[in-house]
Amino acid sequence: MRRVLILGVMVVGVALLLWAGWHNLRERKLAMQKARENQVVLIPDKQGQGKAESEDSEEFAPKMRGQKAPAFALTNLEGKKVSLADYKGRPVLVNFWATWCGPCKVEMPWFEEFRKQYAAQGFEILGLTDDADAGKDVIAKVAQKSGVTYPILLTDGKVQTAYGGLDVLPMSFYVDRNGVVVEQTAGLGSKDQIEAIIKKTIASGGAAPAGEL
Amino acid sequence: MIRGGVLLGAGALLLVSSLAGAQQGDLSAPAARLKQYITYAAEEQTVAAGKKTVLELRFHVNEGFHVNSHTPKSELLIPTKLTLQPEGGVKAEAAQYPAGTSYSFSFQPGEKLDVYTGAFTVKIPVVADAGSHTMTGVLRYQACDNAACYPPKSLPVEVAVTAK
Repeated sequence: MRRVLILGVMVVGVALLLWAGWHNLRERKLAMQKARENQVVLIPDKQGQGKAESEDSEEFAPKMRGQKAPAFALTNLEGKKVSLADYKGRPVLVNFWATWCGPCKVEMPWFEEFRKQYAAQGFEILGLTDDADAGKDVIAKVAQKSGVTYPILLTDGKVQTAYGGLDVLPMSFYVDRNGVVVEQTAGLGSKDQIEAIIKKTIASGGAAPAGEL
Repeated sequence: MIRGGVLLGAGALLLVSSLAGAQQGDLSAPAARLKQYITYAAEEQTVAAGKKTVLELRFHVNEGFHVNSHTPKSELLIPTKLTLQPEGGVKAEAAQYPAGTSYSFSFQPGEKLDVYTGAFTVKIPVVADAGSHTMTGVLRYQACDNAACYPPKSLPVEVAVTAK
C-alpha cells in the first residue's frame, strides 16, 4: 500500500514536470506571437472610445490620417530636387528614418522588396532621412547596405514639422493616389502588417487611370 | 521516499510558477513614450576645498528604454555624452563613463549594441575652490525601446558643489 502511494506521488511529480515543460513551450509561443504583434505601433484613433487620453497618446495621435499629405520638395542623394507632387496619382509610402535607428534599417529591405512587388500598381517609396548629423556619404552607404534603390531624400527640418514633428522613428505615412494619408505608423512593423497597409493604400483612391503611371 | 516525492511535486510547482514569472518580461508592450527618457537625480555635493574629488552624477534610464553607452559599437550610433560648462572656481577633468551592457534587438540578434539601462553614474574629477559653485551642462543621448528609436535628446544637468 505504501509502495503504491510512493509510486503515485512520483507519477504526479513527473506529470507536473511534463506539464510544466509543455506549459512553458506554449507560453513561449504565445509570448513570441504577442511580441511580434506588439512590434507595430499603429497610432490609435484620436477619438478614443471612452478611454481617457493621456498626454502621450495625444502626442502620438494620428495627426495625418485622412488628411492631405503635406507637399515637399527635397534634395536626393544625387543633389536633384524631388517633390511629392512628382508622384501625383500614385500610391506612395513616405518613410522617415535615420542612420542611428536600428528598427528603421530592419524594414528598409522589406520596403525595397514591396516596391518591386507592387511596381505594376505604381507603388513608390520615398525614404526621408531624419539625420541632423550624418553626412550625405554616410546616409548613402547605409541605404546601399540596406539594399535600398528607392529615392532617399535629405530632410530640411520643415518637412518633419509638416508631418507632425516626428518624435519617434521609424515613422511612415501611406499616401494614396489622391494624395491622402491612408495610414500612419510609428515603430517597426511586421512585414505582413506593412504589406497589408501597402495593399490598402494601393486600393484606396480608386484605380489609376490608364496611362497615368 | 514519500518526502522525496512530495519535494519533487513541490519543485515542479515552483518551476511552473518561476517560468510563468520569467515570461512576463517577454510580453512587454512598447513602452510609454515620454519627452525625456533619462532622469537626473541632482544631489548637492560637498567636497574638500583645493583637493581632487570625484563627483558622482546619477542618471536613470526610464523603464522599457535603453540608450547607447558612451562607447557604442558602431560609429553610426550616437553616444551618451556629458558636457559641462566651465565654472569659475572649479577645475573639472574629463568625465568618466561606466561600461555599457551588451544588448541586441530581438529582430537583430546578430547586431550587438552597447547600452545603458536603468541606473548609471557618470563621474567627474574636480578640484574646487572654497565656496558654493553651480556647474551646468547637458547630457546628450539617444534612446530606443524594443521597436522604435527616438531622436537625440539633451537633458539639462546642474551640479551644486560646496567646497569647505
